[in-house]
Amino acid sequence: MGAMANRRGFIVTLLMLAPSTVLIAVFLIAPMLIVLGYSFAGRDAYGGIVPGFNLDSYRELFQPLYFPIFWNSVKLAFWNTVLCVLTAYPIAYFIAFRAGRFAPVLLILMLIPFWIDFLIRISAWVVLMGRNGMINSVLTATILDEPARMLGTYGAVLVGLVYAFLPSAVFPIYAALQPIDRALLEAGRDLGAGPVQNFRRVTLPLSMPGVMAACLFVFVPSMGVFAIPVLLGGGKSIIIGNLIVQLFLDFRNMPLGSAVSVVLLVFSSLGILLYMRALRRVEAARA
Amino acid sequence: MSETSVLTQGQKTRIWIEANLLGRLAPAVTLLAYLFLFVPIVVLVAYSFNASRSTVVWSGFTFDWYGEVFKDRGLRQALQVSAIIAFVSALVSTAIGALTALAIVRRRFPGRDALATLLLAPMVLPEIVMAVALLVFMVALNITLGYFSMIVSHVLITVPFATLIVRAAAASLDRRLEEAAADLGANEWQIFWRVTFPLLLPPIVTAFLLAATLSFDNFVMSTFTSGVGTTPLPLRIYSMLKLGITPKINALGALMVLLNVLVVVAVMGRHLKLILKK
Amino acid sequence: MKTTKTLLLGVASAGALLLGFSAASAEELHIYAWADEVPQAVLDDFSKETGIEVTLDTFDSNESLIAKLEAGASGYDLIEPSQYAVQILAKKGLVENLDHAKLPNRANLSDVFQNISFDPGNKVSIPFIWGTTGFAYNSDCVKEPITSWKSLWDEQYKGRIYMLDNMLAAYIAGLQVNGFKANTTNPDEIAKATQSLIDQKPLLAGYNASNFADLVSSGEACIVEAWSGNVLQAIEENPKVHYVLPDEGGTMWVDGFSIPKGAKNTDAAYKFLNYVLQPEVAAKVTTLTKVASAVEKSKALLPKELAENTAVFPPADRLAKADFILDLGDAMKHYQDGWTKVKATE
Repeated sequence: MGAMANRRGFIVTLLMLAPSTVLIAVFLIAPMLIVLGYSFAGRDAYGGIVPGFNLDSYRELFQPLYFPIFWNSVKLAFWNTVLCVLTAYPIAYFIAFRAGRFAPVLLILMLIPFWIDFLIRISAWVVLMGRNGMINSVLTATILDEPARMLGTYGAVLVGLVYAFLPSAVFPIYAALQPIDRALLEAGRDLGAGPVQNFRRVTLPLSMPGVMAACLFVFVPSMGVFAIPVLLGGGKSIIIGNLIVQLFLDFRNMPLGSAVSVVLLVFSSLGILLYMRALRRVEAARA
Repeated sequence: MSETSVLTQGQKTRIWIEANLLGRLAPAVTLLAYLFLFVPIVVLVAYSFNASRSTVVWSGFTFDWYGEVFKDRGLRQALQVSAIIAFVSALVSTAIGALTALAIVRRRFPGRDALATLLLAPMVLPEIVMAVALLVFMVALNITLGYFSMIVSHVLITVPFATLIVRAAAASLDRRLEEAAADLGANEWQIFWRVTFPLLLPPIVTAFLLAATLSFDNFVMSTFTSGVGTTPLPLRIYSMLKLGITPKINALGALMVLLNVLVVVAVMGRHLKLILKK
Repeated sequence: MKTTKTLLLGVASAGALLLGFSAASAEELHIYAWADEVPQAVLDDFSKETGIEVTLDTFDSNESLIAKLEAGASGYDLIEPSQYAVQILAKKGLVENLDHAKLPNRANLSDVFQNISFDPGNKVSIPFIWGTTGFAYNSDCVKEPITSWKSLWDEQYKGRIYMLDNMLAAYIAGLQVNGFKANTTNPDEIAKATQSLIDQKPLLAGYNASNFADLVSSGEACIVEAWSGNVLQAIEENPKVHYVLPDEGGTMWVDGFSIPKGAKNTDAAYKFLNYVLQPEVAAKVTTLTKVASAVEKSKALLPKELAENTAVFPPADRLAKADFILDLGDAMKHYQDGWTKVKATE
């Protein structure tokens, strides 16, 4: 009887897990393996895949030609992460500790811009940052003689990235701050800890996992972005995302495109590993 | 005031820092950030009523651009494609996510943590890598790009979110209700449909709406997996942007804001009223 | 709880409605074309006349068209590649041979287009429209008339120049400014052009193959490298915009229709081809898009100012100097490496 129930339970568990396992195995892992395979394959003059095993694509990739693109991607993702996290922390702090009953409203408001199509949002920035746009009208009326050039600059790309990724940083930090026991802070105060000390010794360490998650959620995806550098940066400095689009959709160079994808995958996995290690360290320190 | 005399200079400085850094910096940054998020949208909506073709120079009020949006057949088709894909992929991903979440929370099986982690992979991997992989996969298997490939790609990226939402809710579910039902002689199937499912319905609806929103807005996956006659709205908008930004695009954006505010009010209306009344 | 249920129900019925809506089908035609080259009005007229329902998808570069077709996006009945893309598609066996018996209106094509170099005898493609690649400028910013690619390397317009965000198009300027042909396969010449494009980069506001007409019309840009078709509509709205087919030659391009391998609705495709080959319809296309048609007889039906517009119909002597980009074969690799280098340079 017990064994029967056990067996039945096992089958039910299997059935419940089957859809997600199949999804991941067939549509995530298998495709990734094919990409890995293609990155070692050759290609004919018109972009067809020639099966085989060689390191040509990787050899090509590690030429000086591609270094600026990788460096640029890491740099852009880094600054985007720094800006997003530095802005997101005070916001999350305010929502968690100061906003009171308006906290849910503020959280929903933060999401509203994201219900408008991504490209329409970016187009609003194209208009705002234009030579005759609103920002320049204000600037020329006050401090500048000539309209400043904003579109097509590094700064414009960063603004677009922060605009796109800020909520990805706010939510994990908020999620870490929100459950912090108010009693703990009270206790700290009673023991004579000043608010800053309290923040440094209690709030900040407890919210570190959230900060790290925020870094992960901003840094990794921002390397694969391709529309923002084109629409706001004038396509002048391209990043890995643009390179992949160019190789797959313009040059029809699937082996090289696959190799770039594999490199990006390795970068991302490194990011994830670093995150997990840091998380473990923080949790170990706390325990 | 007599208290101040007890405090040392250092403590005074600390209080000053608290008041200014934590007390004022946080609200100031929050205010600026919300301005940063909303100013472009306000400008966008404002210029959807502009009489001329420009999105820079204001030249009078009109509703014409909204008419243009409704008249555009290509846009209507794209909207239809996006709606179908958002609906189907959200349905599939919510179902998969709910099943997986319940299994992870309720059942013990080997490799549980590994599966839970693996399921989150699509959330952190760069979308473009998955998109490229799916394209290569479909080509290798000779699968025609279209609804199927797009729905699969959208399910893949929305499943982690659906799983997370349902998982969080299932973990905090009061198991005594189910135990009580079992004591009253209900079988597993009945317990699920009569007790567990109704209790989990709100998070499941939330998961569905989030998945649908993510799918509706998706651009990267669709760039690689869309096929014949299945150009979704974001791709259509991208090609509209190429012909220049007109108030028609703004009008479309304004309609999206309106639609979403309506959905929020419909789902959270009562909750919001409670919050604001308190 | 009740609200969530009603909501679910509402969403479900909306979904069902949409699915049912799309299932209704008449005779269909799926066209994959350049954005803005096949006017919606013409498609509507065609549907009204024939009862065939037309779906139009758009692309923005020949390369992405080829990539999509290779990726197995079968299901299109008509595609609109440019000249060199026709050659590549034919070589890869991705397009059907045309059945001329079903194309009586092919006779309306000008002789030039019936025997064009990239597809003599229209074996696999029917030319639809043609234009040039040159540049456009805004006279608010550029005070005296300019006629050479050199102006795109002119310091005084620093930060106000855009190049087309399209490899082969950018190389037209890069090669011709050095005195080379735009369709060269010589690696040294390509390398020189690459260097010119890198030198030009600090002067650029960006690369743009999308709303460049808007940029030059609004004054955001002084000079943009441009495809004639896209700027001619802007010129009509803003007389300060001028289009130039440069002294160095520029290029001529031809976009035509082909039937991809495995197309299902070939009858509808032939009907459509015959339809757009009628001079009246061709004239309507030109009137709406400001791009010259391959059906020469349509020119007589155009409004006088359009027929005499030298930006649409450049004088024969200037057109004779324009290059014509054909399949570059193995030289493509040099272009691609060079272009990546240009894009990667800070």
